[in-house]
Amino acid sequence: MSAIQQGVKTIQRALPAVNGHRAWLAGLLLAAGWLALPSMGIAAEGTGAGPTEYRDVPYIGSRTLVWIVAQLHLLLAGFVLGVPIFAWLCEVIAWRGGEKRYDKLAKEFTKLLTSAYATTALFGGILLFLLVAFYPKLMNYLTDVFFPSFLLYCFLFLLETVTLYLYWYGWDAMQEGRKKSLHVFLGFLLNFFALFIMIVPNAWATFQASPVVIAEGTAFERAWAATWNPTWWPINIHRLIANVVLGGYICGAYAGVRYLSVKNAEDREHYDWMGYVGNFIGVFGLLALPFAGYWLMREIYQYNQQMGITLMGGFLSWLFILQAMLIGVLFLGSNYYFWLGITYRIPGSESKYRKAMLMMLVSLLLCLAVWMTPHSLVASIEEAQKMGGAHHPLLGVLGVMSAKMTVSNLMILITFMSFVMYWRAGKRDTAGWAAFGKAVMGAILVLASIAVIVLGVWGYFVPAIVRINYFSTSQVLIVIFVILTITPLTALLLKSAKTTTEMVWGSMPPRAGYSLVLNAVMVILLMTLMGYARSSSRVHWHVYGVMRDTSPYAYSPALGSASLIMAFCTFFFCILVAFIFWVATMGDKYKTAASAGKGELPHGIPAMAGGAPNKGQQE
Amino acid sequence: MSEVAQLQLIALSIVGAGIVILLFIKAVFIRVTGFVFIVLGLFSLMSLAVPQLASLPPAEGKIDIASIKTPTDIAAIGQTVFFSKGQCALCHSIGPSESARCPDLKGIGAKLSKEFLYESLTDPQAFIYRDYRHGGVPKEYPATMPRIDKDPIGLSKNEILAIIAFLQQMSGEPVSVSVSDLDMPGQTPSAPVKAAESALVADAHTN
Repeated sequence: MSAIQQGVKTIQRALPAVNGHRAWLAGLLLAAGWLALPSMGIAAEGTGAGPTEYRDVPYIGSRTLVWIVAQLHLLLAGFVLGVPIFAWLCEVIAWRGGEKRYDKLAKEFTKLLTSAYATTALFGGILLFLLVAFYPKLMNYLTDVFFPSFLLYCFLFLLETVTLYLYWYGWDAMQEGRKKSLHVFLGFLLNFFALFIMIVPNAWATFQASPVVIAEGTAFERAWAATWNPTWWPINIHRLIANVVLGGYICGAYAGVRYLSVKNAEDREHYDWMGYVGNFIGVFGLLALPFAGYWLMREIYQYNQQMGITLMGGFLSWLFILQAMLIGVLFLGSNYYFWLGITYRIPGSESKYRKAMLMMLVSLLLCLAVWMTPHSLVASIEEAQKMGGAHHPLLGVLGVMSAKMTVSNLMILITFMSFVMYWRAGKRDTAGWAAFGKAVMGAILVLASIAVIVLGVWGYFVPAIVRINYFSTSQVLIVIFVILTITPLTALLLKSAKTTTEMVWGSMPPRAGYSLVLNAVMVILLMTLMGYARSSSRVHWHVYGVMRDTSPYAYSPALGSASLIMAFCTFFFCILVAFIFWVATMGDKYKTAASAGKGELPHGIPAMAGGAPNKGQQE
Repeated sequence: MSEVAQLQLIALSIVGAGIVILLFIKAVFIRVTGFVFIVLGLFSLMSLAVPQLASLPPAEGKIDIASIKTPTDIAAIGQTVFFSKGQCALCHSIGPSESARCPDLKGIGAKLSKEFLYESLTDPQAFIYRDYRHGGVPKEYPATMPRIDKDPIGLSKNEILAIIAFLQQMSGEPVSVSVSDLDMPGQTPSAPVKAAESALVADAHTN
């Protein structure tokens, strides 16, 4: 005790001397504390005869720390892989269509990549160190299975880094003629390597859920068998689409925040347009995402029904009610943004489409209500007795998959029609076949909606296996058919249409900016929620059915406490992205100020490169 | 205050902080942060409003053979395994249920012999049981019965026999599983029980 008091006195005496260096001292203490954590850690096993299997850290716990870092790394990786797809699509649109503003938008977002790439790699490195430190036995096993793919991953990183540098630093130098084609090709290569950078670690993660282990063969053969596991490709496709959605909505959210803060009209136009492009790309991916999710769940059920039931009918079943809520809000937010666009950007269109928008809103809310109806209600014993079970006599019918699949398909159809409505607003058809074409499109839409509903109702009267294998798949195919027929027909119709009302950019109300932010937060929350679902579906296994989790953290926490970690990850990721945007655009502000000072651009240019749409088009 | 109540308080505080920011702060970035606070807080509150179910690993308690005196004792152990480590209730119902993914097990102990039940649990595809309750075409189930002596369930012979005893008792049948059927500690497991650990696990452990 006296030794402690002595120590305290010594520190008190020393404190005045370091008064001017508090920040340094705090930093040093933090670093020392961090480095000392392992020494405070409790090795769950291994202090005896065997090797160490687990390590822990006090307070936060090793599992929570790994959870947060892994989730942040995954979100950043989604961002880093989504942004190049987004940027490259914009560059191709500019290259083929001649609209320079798209090229500038692509450049703005590519500029983020270097800092975002480094941040993602930083979190990847931290995650790797934490995994090796906290889960040595698991990492040893995974290394043994996947060693060849580790080498491939490193090689892919080299290729990606070189391509990224060439793509970004060569942007201005490769703007004209064949050089531009080369630059577009570099963008393609960047995304090509990025795809492989995504799918290689996906193999490690999906292996944990649906392992394929062969005892014989070379290291390469064993790694290949483990890589090609049942959920690998469903996850690859799902994540690829989700990354596009994330990239689009984050672009939208950035534009939304900038739109709220900029003062001059030129900047407002620019960020309004950027918000539109981001939302459009987000919605474009969002329409396809439920199909990919359905495929993934199907594969999980086929691989192991217990895992599927744990997810959809077991302790994780309530998670899907939350998922429905988030997706529902996302659909509502995306549609709302389209409707705001029709109302404010295309003057005069509001009266024409008001009824349709109202109907769509009511339909979306009804669909969301059905989607969110739980299969079993939380009821007291008395309530359950009155209801005759945990299922509500009336609403219980809506809690099953047949109803949920139907409404999710209807929501996709409604969102698609919102987009078509926005596309057509302010234009008058001049083609001779316009009336016929519109009648055909209307018939397709009505018949498809009826077919989706009929299949949904019919699904109650057939065995589940028939519904899953045939009815739900048919519903998905019908919706895809609608999208694939109405899109080219509308494009053809609008090719000869006359613009009656010019699009007015920069006239959206502030709530449009907030709706873009809401959409991005919903996507990020969804990713964190489904990360928890995927990890929890393995229950008490590190590698399902192969390597059991014997640590004190072999349980999956309840949704409530997990949601706070998800919320924290979402918030921290938003702050990281905001920081990346801020760092990437910091130099532009100085350049702008310097250029304005020299009188080269008397009216100033936006804080970020890009310029207003009209200005861009004139170039 | 319960843990859920504490977490609700935290979530409410986050929402409150967001509202205060939106009411009193004018800086756009901070206002957007406040808006995000509200969204995240509401999400957490919603998550705390649904039933709070955690998934705990199955208890690894060994069956204490010495404590088993009667077949009823074996059935009592079987009931515990049925609803926990065995994960039987995840798919099967006891009594009619339209939402059950797999056959109703009520009365199954009276319909099928001990040996047949054992085979159904350890080699489910040897004989497919189809439910003709509805008449006409047999009801098809989306789920296929897994081998429960293999991982990820990996029940021991004693645990499987205990489940059979429970199914028999539940069906009003005399329990035909006796204490002498159980493997004694230190005794080499007899056929037809396979090793609880699959080849995959053995592979994982040796690596």
